[in-house]
Amino acid sequence: MSKFQHFRNALLGILMVFLSLLLPAVPEDSYYLIALIISLMLMVHGFRMLWFYLRMARYMVGGKSILIQSIFVLDFGLLTVSMVSMNSITILLYLLGVFAFSGVIEILRAFEAKRVGAALWKFKFISGCISVLCAVVMLVVVIFIGSNDILVYGYSISLAYAGAVRIITAFRKTAIVYIQ
Amino acid sequence: MNPDFHYYATYCAAFLAGYTHDECLEIAYSDQLVDLCSETLLRKLKAPTAAATTQLQLELMDTRTDIVGLQNITRIWASFHFLPRDLNAEPNRRCSKTYINKYRLICGPNGDLLKSTVELARGKGPQAVGVAMHILADTWAHRYFAGTPSLVINNTDSYFSELIADGDGFTERKITFRHSASAPDEPENSIYTSSLPVSSEKSIMNLGHGRAGHLPDYSFIRYKYLPAWGDYEETVKDNPSDYKNAFCQMIYAMKYLRGSVDTFLTEQYDYAAIADIEEEIDTILMKRQPDASEDWKALGERLSGREIAPFDIERYQQEYLLAKEGEADETFLGRFILAALAQKSMVTNRIYRSGSMLAGYSVTYRRDRSLGIKAFRKLIDRKKEGDRE
Repeated sequence: MSKFQHFRNALLGILMVFLSLLLPAVPEDSYYLIALIISLMLMVHGFRMLWFYLRMARYMVGGKSILIQSIFVLDFGLLTVSMVSMNSITILLYLLGVFAFSGVIEILRAFEAKRVGAALWKFKFISGCISVLCAVVMLVVVIFIGSNDILVYGYSISLAYAGAVRIITAFRKTAIVYIQ
Repeated sequence: MNPDFHYYATYCAAFLAGYTHDECLEIAYSDQLVDLCSETLLRKLKAPTAAATTQLQLELMDTRTDIVGLQNITRIWASFHFLPRDLNAEPNRRCSKTYINKYRLICGPNGDLLKSTVELARGKGPQAVGVAMHILADTWAHRYFAGTPSLVINNTDSYFSELIADGDGFTERKITFRHSASAPDEPENSIYTSSLPVSSEKSIMNLGHGRAGHLPDYSFIRYKYLPAWGDYEETVKDNPSDYKNAFCQMIYAMKYLRGSVDTFLTEQYDYAAIADIEEEIDTILMKRQPDASEDWKALGERLSGREIAPFDIERYQQEYLLAKEGEADETFLGRFILAALAQKSMVTNRIYRSGSMLAGYSVTYRRDRSLGIKAFRKLIDRKKEGDRE
């Protein structure tokens, strides 16, 4: 990781922890803020990937994957921003879905890391499992108990956990293999 | 390439080109030093860091991948390890200028820059010869990769097969890459270490042949793969053949450098010089071993009848550190540093003149004023001295 990437990870982590504190304080309005921030981040990232594809990656073997990724990220950003006009429970369920999805991706990346012999695969795997588990537990609570408050607190805890993981990652030394 | 070729094989090639045992040792030492002369080493020697010919893993981890950092990386790796084959190359289809600039940095043998590199080393002592031979050999080993961080040029995918000699033909075996730095390569199972896949264009993971691991550095291996820039055309890399060409071209180039050949032409290989030992060289090149130092050393010692001392990085350091003011440039390492600065200056200038800023600005020396990085003023002083004489 470059210094900028370390800084960006730390900043995002702090932002996530801050939002996790904000969410229970103003439960009615904070969903919109979260959805807006996530959509903005996704769209900026999607546009940057699309620009990279158009200028460079379209000439490369396997470059289509960059295009697909950019469209996927961009679509995701637009979908998120469209959620702002919906009621709060829909947004919250959507955010839970995003959270669970990020957990699944983390688990898949952990398996990939294990396959190639990287030492940190267990950390990724546990982190992904916790994310998915939290999302599933909260969904069960909404369906069977019908309490939105528990959902808000549950989501806040999950967000705080994800933020803390990101902060730890930002300050962790990253082993780099370079072949000279 | 590894010390087996850059040190011991270079010794053999220099001896076959007609150099004496001591000259061969100095050339081989300078050749190998190119892989070790980092900014860290130069700081220890209180020498100009602009003369760095390589970057250590830790230095690369620390390097900022902003524009200045990327230009420094490109100056070092394109000048000494991935010499561009054709700075006017055009891809098969219409591409953006940004892409074309990176495409033009793809390394390969027998380019105009190689000719300029060898000509630049003539008359400048064994250190410059060693630097030039390192670069020449790497144009064969590192071909198809560029000395700048670039996903779109240097990336590879999982389509990678080793071609193993089987009678008159070859059998294919899938190559598996892993990214664990501590795990050694397993040639017997075709399992090798490579850098991590990172989708960022400028990540140092996408510098040079990192994504293909050490495969380009092993003389025995033949493999086929899809280079990122290759438009889905299968590329076959035949290292035994490439290394043999490199060895014979080095002999020819060194004959030019010591004056027994008048002009240096590309695509010339002195196969006649190895006629008596060709079988032995083929055996060394094709033996499945990550390090062929012992075999090359034995061949070199048989050729010259003298012992080849192992490479010792500290051999010339005291001489440089104890040199009086103004005399450091005349020491062994001082001459190596001058050769490195001259090479870096030449390649940076050529890349800049091709319309690319990937290696940074290059300013041309003018008699009335000095411009550019202070460390390169040594070259101007040398030129002035030469003009006066």
